[in-house]
Amino acid sequence: MNRLTGLPASAGAGVGPAWVVDRPALALPSGPVADPEAEVAALDAALEAVAVRLEALAGAATGEPADILGAQAAMALDPELAARSARLVRESGVPAARAVVEVGEGYARTLAESGNEYLAARAADVAEVCRLASAELLGVADAGGPPPGPGPHVAVAEDLSPAAVAELDPARIAAVATEAGSAVSHAAIVARALGIPAVVGVAGLLAAVPPGATVLVDGDAGTVVVDPDAETVARAARRPGPARPAEIVAEAVTADGHRVGLAANVAGPAELRAARALGAAAVGLFRTELAYLRAAAPPAEEELAAALAEMSEVLGGGRMVVRTFDFGADKLPRFLEHELGAEANPALGIRGLRLARRQPDLLRTQLRAVARAAGGGARLAVMAPMVATVADAEWFVAACREAGCQEAGVQVGVMVEVPAAVLCASDLADRVDFLSIGTNDLGQYLLAADRQEAALADLQDPFQPALLRAVQLVGAAAAGKARVSVCGEAAGDPLWAALAAGAGVGELSMAAASLDGVRAELGRRTLAACRAAMRVASGAPAAAEARRLAAEALEELAP
Amino acid sequence: MVRRMVTVVGATGLHARPAALFCREAARFAASVRIEKNGRHADARSLLSVLELDVRQGETVVLVADGADEDEAVRALAGALERP
Repeated sequence: MNRLTGLPASAGAGVGPAWVVDRPALALPSGPVADPEAEVAALDAALEAVAVRLEALAGAATGEPADILGAQAAMALDPELAARSARLVRESGVPAARAVVEVGEGYARTLAESGNEYLAARAADVAEVCRLASAELLGVADAGGPPPGPGPHVAVAEDLSPAAVAELDPARIAAVATEAGSAVSHAAIVARALGIPAVVGVAGLLAAVPPGATVLVDGDAGTVVVDPDAETVARAARRPGPARPAEIVAEAVTADGHRVGLAANVAGPAELRAARALGAAAVGLFRTELAYLRAAAPPAEEELAAALAEMSEVLGGGRMVVRTFDFGADKLPRFLEHELGAEANPALGIRGLRLARRQPDLLRTQLRAVARAAGGGARLAVMAPMVATVADAEWFVAACREAGCQEAGVQVGVMVEVPAAVLCASDLADRVDFLSIGTNDLGQYLLAADRQEAALADLQDPFQPALLRAVQLVGAAAAGKARVSVCGEAAGDPLWAALAAGAGVGELSMAAASLDGVRAELGRRTLAACRAAMRVASGAPAAAEARRLAAEALEELAP
Repeated sequence: MVRRMVTVVGATGLHARPAALFCREAARFAASVRIEKNGRHADARSLLSVLELDVRQGETVVLVADGADEDEAVRALAGALERP
């Protein structure tokens, strides 16, 4: 038994075989490069890949970790960072993998020397982003990924980036110990958010822990014990564990036994891992377009199928609703810029399924990939965005059939986010397996209030009685014919979720961090109370009033 | 080209979240926007350059926008800086 001391960084204790997470030293190539333009293009792609990964992690996180990861994503997309690195490549022939690290170090130095504590803390963040881009260029895997072998492991490392910690699977990582770092380091903050016990700043850690050795990490005491004896392990086990965010639960159950499916909205595998850690058993909205916003060419079927297979494996047995590409409006990929660059009213323009109907190849490729990936762990479903007419739905169902989706057991649905689809919901429900209400866009279109216009925030409130009535209409129109789910942000608001349950919504899909709150709220309510609250709220004259009336009705009728 | 002097109201200046939000706002416009302080300047879309300017509460900066929607851009970004 060998006891080492560090700094307590995240509460709780964990024990398991040591998984030594190497942070590979990057062998930075030296120049001059033969083809600077190819280097610059590769660098742009690498920075984009890093940004997508960090954005996905930020989207799955909340609070401070979300801010840290979001700021890092913004750094990866920084036009100055790309321009300075490109200049080094073009003017001095420096390979991109080295140029980006040097530019990052330059920024880090300025920020560290600013004399401003906040900026100094950002120095490590920018250096890390540039290192990630360089690793991407060199094809070196960043620390992270799954631990070897079954059972929970203890991740032991020199240091871990916030992104690497965010990508750890809390189900397979019992604890984290690092040689570097402080309790306010960003990795520590992310570990706390994930509920993983952690000790940082452990001098001599790597020398003392052989890979595979049993390690006990005590995140309260700040100690790491190598080869602990049985009594030490038992003592740690008796203490209450860390506040694990959630167990995996597929549904909420009201006080009178009515079941509502719960699912997460995600944009990629990293975000899905984080959602799993927060208790998500299913995906109600996989935003497939976000990974390709900066792609120069449309993705190939193999690439799409591989991405779906990875998601499917991470999710395991649950259901995953794949939304086909929702390009257009504020989501314009590079490879479509020329075709869609100059719409006067992009939100009312060629987006979602409208784009797919004009360029059916892109959709066909994606649907074939879905059919191919259908045999994996997750039960796949597919749905189209921006469906406005019954003919749209029929066209989409036929496209799915042609691609082999139905044959492969994939359910087919459409999103309800255009007011016309609300009015046609009964006919739509006759043609598809499920309807999924996108409250963000539906609210914007229903109340004619631009989502980007902060001055109209009141009209974008999901408690706007007209939006509540739209949910009621869809629930009633689809009853007995197709399942109705909600995948907008409103689904994560506990009070709103109760109203949706009262309107016959069978699944709520939200940011994973909201799952616990929604499950708890529904557990306190009866279906009859939810129905009554929805009735009074949808009859209110304004959003604030609807919210108040709904809360009062639920309290009055609480079991 | 539009120029406007703005005094920064936010308690944390242009650091942390306000800086990230400011840059995201700047990216919405077609016009190029520059933020100037004490003779130094930064591209308003570049988070790192804006952080390097180290703009603090109470300091006065100049916004310079050039492009089709320069008026809207300056109005929106000045609004972001004047938000408490």
